[in-house]
Parts: sequence; structure tokens; C-alpha cells
Amino acid sequence: MADKLLKFSSSPHVKAVRTTKQIMRHVCIALLPACIAGVVFFGLNAALLIALSLTSAILSEVVYHLICGKKLKEIYAGFDYTSAVTGLLIALSVGVQTPWYAIILANIFAIVVVKMIFGGTGKNLVNPAVTGRIFAFMSFLSLMSNGWVNPNFASLSGASSINAETNATLLTDLLKGNAPALSNLDLLLGTGLAGCIGETCKVALILGGIYLAVLGIINIGYPAIYIAVTGLFTVCLNGFDFNCFLPAILSGGLMLGAIFMATDYTTSPNTTLGNIVYFALLGLLTAGLRQATGIEVVSFVILLMNLFVPLIDKFVRPKPFGFQKQKGGKK
Amino acid sequence: MKTNFKKIATDGILTNNPTLKLVLGTCPTLALTTMAMNGVYMGLAVTFVLICSNVIISLLRKVIPNQVRIPAFVLIIATFVTILRIVMDKLLPDLYESLGLYLPLIVVNCIILARAESFASKNGIIASAADGLFMGIGFALALTTMGAFREILGAGKIFGVELWAFRIEFFSSSAGAFFTYGLFIAMFAFISSLISKKKALKAAKAAKATVATEEVKEDK
Repeated sequence: MADKLLKFSSSPHVKAVRTTKQIMRHVCIALLPACIAGVVFFGLNAALLIALSLTSAILSEVVYHLICGKKLKEIYAGFDYTSAVTGLLIALSVGVQTPWYAIILANIFAIVVVKMIFGGTGKNLVNPAVTGRIFAFMSFLSLMSNGWVNPNFASLSGASSINAETNATLLTDLLKGNAPALSNLDLLLGTGLAGCIGETCKVALILGGIYLAVLGIINIGYPAIYIAVTGLFTVCLNGFDFNCFLPAILSGGLMLGAIFMATDYTTSPNTTLGNIVYFALLGLLTAGLRQATGIEVVSFVILLMNLFVPLIDKFVRPKPFGFQKQKGGKK
Repeated sequence: MKTNFKKIATDGILTNNPTLKLVLGTCPTLALTTMAMNGVYMGLAVTFVLICSNVIISLLRKVIPNQVRIPAFVLIIATFVTILRIVMDKLLPDLYESLGLYLPLIVVNCIILARAESFASKNGIIASAADGLFMGIGFALALTTMGAFREILGAGKIFGVELWAFRIEFFSSSAGAFFTYGLFIAMFAFISSLISKKKALKAAKAAKATVATEEVKEDK
């Protein structure tokens, strides 16, 4: 009873027809181009990994509910597509060489530990997909960060992104101060670029982002802030060498992280100003830590900033309705 | 005064388990639980210091002035830790190496100081020794089970015996230590709430039964 009396914000409340289920379905649709691009670039293995990740994410949610004593009908009625989004994002943010059990364990960790134990959709402290990916990377580091596979299409400039000596991907190579082997157009299209399934083809990700922005699900300004700050700060760190700008923003998991992971409703601040602070800090940390550690840090930075979101929300408060009117303010 | 050993034992191992219920001594818990064997050794070391310091503090509880009790306690604890270190260095040099810094750190281990403050300085010698023993066992059990969990998942071994080649390295890392600790605290709280619920049910049933028999008697 006490729960029902509790109000989370002051009136008026906007009522919309849109539900979590619909929004998450749109996010799934927005991820489709990236999935298709991944399958086209990396072949059948990528499709299998995506399907495996999707099923294991949904299954772990269903099994958790079953253990908690819910009936199948209730689970079906209450199913929103959040676990599907998590499963897709995990599959898209790992390389095609990832072993199958790593994918399954990452999904179980993401859904059960990060999301369901904290109370399900909308109650999680950090983004499940990001945390699941980090869990997999920490657990199976050597299996997941070696043996990168070249995509089916050769690059337009004829170069290979895999450094044969160190078996590192383009980004790790770039961060060690080597000149990029691929042109910026290659980076944008993902041709000849080894990397994670969904992160190579930036055009597909941007298409998905535009789809979400047109539907009003995400504010395209926020990921833009993140990406721009990352690029500019990288330029600053490299002695104002503007040639770094495009490779910095077009490589690694930045696009996927900025458009789909950092914009998660649950784990981003509530206010406009708070969001600007959040995404700008994400950009600064990504550029700085990339430079300092020499590895891709986008998922770690998103996890770190997720934990700062309650703090940001504490200091950047929304103005109550009618705040500026001194007298006769509506209640 | 009669000492209630059963209460001291359940307090130390279950209701007031130092690691999982009081969340004391987290530093060695997080750092040393990568292997089950470490938990056993650390638990034994802490139990030794805990029993000895509890006995001495209980003996001296009327002599130590209240204002300087904490330094006095730490001095007593440090004495026994020093003895332990010297003996271990001589007899078990490998173990001394593997426990490393965490052995001298027993001096500032919260469990020992907390038991000195809240139990030994208020109770008799035998009760204090028993409290030290069971608190130590509770600590050792918690550390060993957590160590076994992390060792099985993170290194594919149990007590140093290889089980399989499959490894989830997350559980050997320090992030895995925090995760395992949280998981164990949650599971422990869940199990103890189940037990207390069962006990309450039993008590309610027993009360009903006695009422029923009394009624029967009255009828007769």
C-alpha cells in the first residue's frame, strides 16, 4: 500500500501511449542494420553468435522468472524486449572469434546478476550489456582479444587492419602511435577492418542511431557530444594534430557505445544538463584512458560513468513545475 | 555464572559470523580468497591469535583502565601476532611467504579488536576462549568456502588439485573478489532468514500443540 502512495516526481505527469516494450522493440529494429552488416562482413559464424546471444539472454530472464515462481503466461505478458536488446548488444560488441560459452556466461551475468537481482527492467545500476561484455573480456581475455578475423571484403585502400606481428587490431595499433593502415572511408564502411561483429560498419550504426533519433527515442545530440568530445580531446592530447580526429571517432566501439549503450534510459541522468555533463565526461575519459592504457576502453568508461549517474542526478536537479513563479505557484 | 557454550558457538559460526554477518576483516577476505587453502591457513592463524588475546584480555579486564583499553588491547594482540610470525617464519617458511603482508596485518584485524572490546573485556576466561575459538572457526569457514568457490571457477582447482582446464578468470581478479563477497553475504542472509522463518513456524506450531494438549487435559 505504501508503495502505491509514493510519488516519484511532482505533477503534472505526462502520459504517453508509448510503452517500454515498444521502445525496446524499436531499439532492436535499430540494431538490425548493424547485425546484417556483421553477418555480411563476418559470415555465418557471426549470425550464429548473434542468435546464441539473443536466445541465451531471453532464456536466462525466463528461467529466472520461473525460479521465482512466475507462470509462463505471466512471463510472456510481461516480456519487454530489454533482454533481447542486451543479448544483441553483447553479440555485437564481441569479436567473431569469441568462444560460445563466453557469450552464454556474459548473457547470464548481464541478465541475472546485473539486471534481475536488482529488480528487473529499469532498476539496474549499470548497463547490463556493457557489464556482460566486460565480464566476458576479463574472464576469457586471451581467447577474445587474439585471433581477430578479417572481414569478407578487402579494404578500398588494399591494406590489412591486422598487424601481422602483434596480432593487434587497428585501434590498438593506432594507440601505439603507428600510422593508420586504412583510410577513413574504410573505417566508416568497415571494409578490411577486423574487429567486433557490430562495431566495424559505422554506417549501419549511424543508420540505427538516426532511426532512433527520428522516432524520438534518443536525443541524437547526446551521442554526438560524446563522439565529438572524444575526437577533440584525442586531438588535444596528440598536440593538436587534427588528422587524429577521424580515426579516433571512427575506430573501436565508440559508435556502438555512444549510440546504443550510453543512451540507455535507466543508466543515464534525468536532466538535460546532467546528460550533457555525463556524455562530455564519457568523451573525456574515453579519449584520455585510450591514450593512457593503449587499449579500447569504451565499455569500461561507460560502466564507470554509469556508477556516477546517481551522483550527477543528485547535484543536477530538475526544476519543479512552476518553480519561477514566486506567488501562487501551482501545486 | 554458567557459560552458555551453545550460544557462543552459534553466535560465532552463524548468527554473528564475523565475515558474512558483521563484515569484519574484509581486507584479508578479499585478498586471500583466491585459493581455498589460503582461507584455512589464515583462519587458523586468526583463530590462534583470537583465542590467546581473548584469554589474556579477559584475565586483565579488571586491571586495564577504561581510558587506555584500546592501546592495551592492540599491544596484547601484537604480542601474539609477533609470536605467530616468528614461529611460522622458522617452521613454515613457504606459508609465511604466501600469506605475506596479511600476517602482520592481523594486528589491526577488526575481528580480534571487536571481540576484545565487546566480549573478552566483559566475560570470564573460559567463555572468552570459547568465543575466540568459534569466531575463528566462523572466519575460517567463510574464508575457505569463498576461497573454494573462487578457486573452482577462477583457476579450475580445489585445494590445489586440478579439476579441469576451464577457467573464468573474472573470479581470480579483484573485481571477482568483491563480487564473490557480495554474493556470499546475500546467500548467507537468505539462508539465515529461511532458517529463522522455519524456527518461527515451528515455535508457532509447538505453541498451538501445547495449547491443544492443555485443552484436552482440561476436558478430561
